[in-house]
Amino acid sequence: MKTKVVLNFNPELANQPITHNLIAKHHLMVNILRAEIDEIGGKMVLELSGKADDIRRGIDYLKHNGVGVRPIKEGVRRDDDVCTHCGMCVSICPTKALAYDPKTGKITFTEEKCVACGVCIDACPPRAMEILI
Amino acid sequence: MSTTEKSKKGKPGAKSYEEIRKKIADGDAVVMTAEEFKQFVKSNGTKKAAAEVDVVTTGTFGAMCSSGAYFNFGHTDPPIKMQRVWMDGIQAHAGLAAVDAYLGATELDETNNMMHGGAHVIEDLVRGKAVRLKATAYGTDCYPRKEIDTYVSLRTVNQAVLLNLRNCYQNYAVATNSSSRTLYTYMGKLLPELGNATYSSAGELSPLLNDPYYRSIGIGTRIFLGGGQGFVIWEGTQFNPGVPRTPEGVPKRPAGSIAVIGDLKQMSPDFLRGLTFTRYGSSLGLGIGIPIPILDEEMARSCAVTNDMIFTAVFDYSQQSRSRTVLKEISYAALRSGEVEIKGKMVPTSSLSSLYKARQIAQLLKTQILKKEFMIEKPVQNFSLERVFKPLDVRTEKEAM
Ligand code: SF4
Ligand code: SF4
Repeated sequence: MKTKVVLNFNPELANQPITHNLIAKHHLMVNILRAEIDEIGGKMVLELSGKADDIRRGIDYLKHNGVGVRPIKEGVRRDDDVCTHCGMCVSICPTKALAYDPKTGKITFTEEKCVACGVCIDACPPRAMEILI
Repeated sequence: MSTTEKSKKGKPGAKSYEEIRKKIADGDAVVMTAEEFKQFVKSNGTKKAAAEVDVVTTGTFGAMCSSGAYFNFGHTDPPIKMQRVWMDGIQAHAGLAAVDAYLGATELDETNNMMHGGAHVIEDLVRGKAVRLKATAYGTDCYPRKEIDTYVSLRTVNQAVLLNLRNCYQNYAVATNSSSRTLYTYMGKLLPELGNATYSSAGELSPLLNDPYYRSIGIGTRIFLGGGQGFVIWEGTQFNPGVPRTPEGVPKRPAGSIAVIGDLKQMSPDFLRGLTFTRYGSSLGLGIGIPIPILDEEMARSCAVTNDMIFTAVFDYSQQSRSRTVLKEISYAALRSGEVEIKGKMVPTSSLSSLYKARQIAQLLKTQILKKEFMIEKPVQNFSLERVFKPLDVRTEKEAM
């Protein structure tokens, strides 16, 4: 099972091996989708994969250590009313979540493939891609 | 160009503008989109195509920086001769008569906020929104008022006219980046180490690539512009027909372009958008469609050109010079495949112009012609093929004379 979570933590916690413990103690695969850390704390978007029980225990471990945990359904969203299907995003999306469909000429967005890296956000000329954090 | 209006007279399959216009008016015209026409020619040849097809519709939707709109706001009481004008904080050029101003698409506010430039204000107006208008003046005996702060919309202004100096480039470069840092350009985000390549032409659907020597696209040509109807009013700035061409005559570099005009009040946000190119600025995403009358077999041959026959040059945008070295020439068929080889590396490609919208425009234009809502026009004057594109150098007064 896979789930995406947003973590909010204070500066002291930023120095602790949180992700390491998730991997080592709770047998989870951790994919860091986004991380912003500065002197007033940090925000991280993780994709956790593993057994449902392990994920639950991992999240409990985080909460117990004072990390704010919020599950998210999706990290990046496309506003289809804004997208002009230009295709600028296609060559910069590392996972091919944004791809050209030769049949329709449209650019498709496959959420499951998106790792919320965010590189498409400022590359999209009409600003159709947004990060939901 | 070999064929002239005179020499084709009497040739089988040759049609005059008058004949095609009459067919459109009678609802008898055979109209195809450029993509449909290319298929038709593949199966039936150019001779049959020239005899049977009357009009081919082309389309493109891309970032067109050299765009803007002029307005006449109406007179205040007491009247003002506007010297400085801002529309939603973006300065419009007001060095005209009292209440006229021109808002450029790439104009930014004093903070250089690229998320909201002139193009975005034009889009807001087209969306029916009201825009804050501020103006200041020095005051004269006939125009005593010195400032105004109000709201305007397309409903309140007298004229709102899109007037673009250079649109619809006939072919454009491919941009890539061999340096070690991401470049933010008008060709979009260019990833380091040849991480991607971007291009910006609708290729075989693009208007001027279907009429390489501007036989039917000239001054007075009626066009689809941003969802409404407009006209070609001049050659576009930097018009440069003398670039290298393929044996079929298709330019392999940015060549021709057009200056266009149209009523903003007819336009739609589906085909007119404010764009932001990060760290470059704002630009106008604009849809243009041009009908091409199939006057004779030569015209049919021009419109039969396909992506594998249209070439352009790849440039390294990390080379900061006006004359960058050509890395290689490449076809639009290769670019469309999603990956091209540059310096031994397979590089993913991105289009900056929307193929989806280009198709939509060609289709819409076809429907409009079939429904007799759009009439083709014969150019009142053709573009000169002699134009050259000169650079700007630092020179003395004498050298400039
Ligand atoms: S860059 Fe933006 S507008 Fe262009 S296809 Fe991607 S999401 Fe759509
Ligand atoms: S956030 Fe990253 S992975 Fe998701 S669509 Fe944008 S570029 Fe692709």
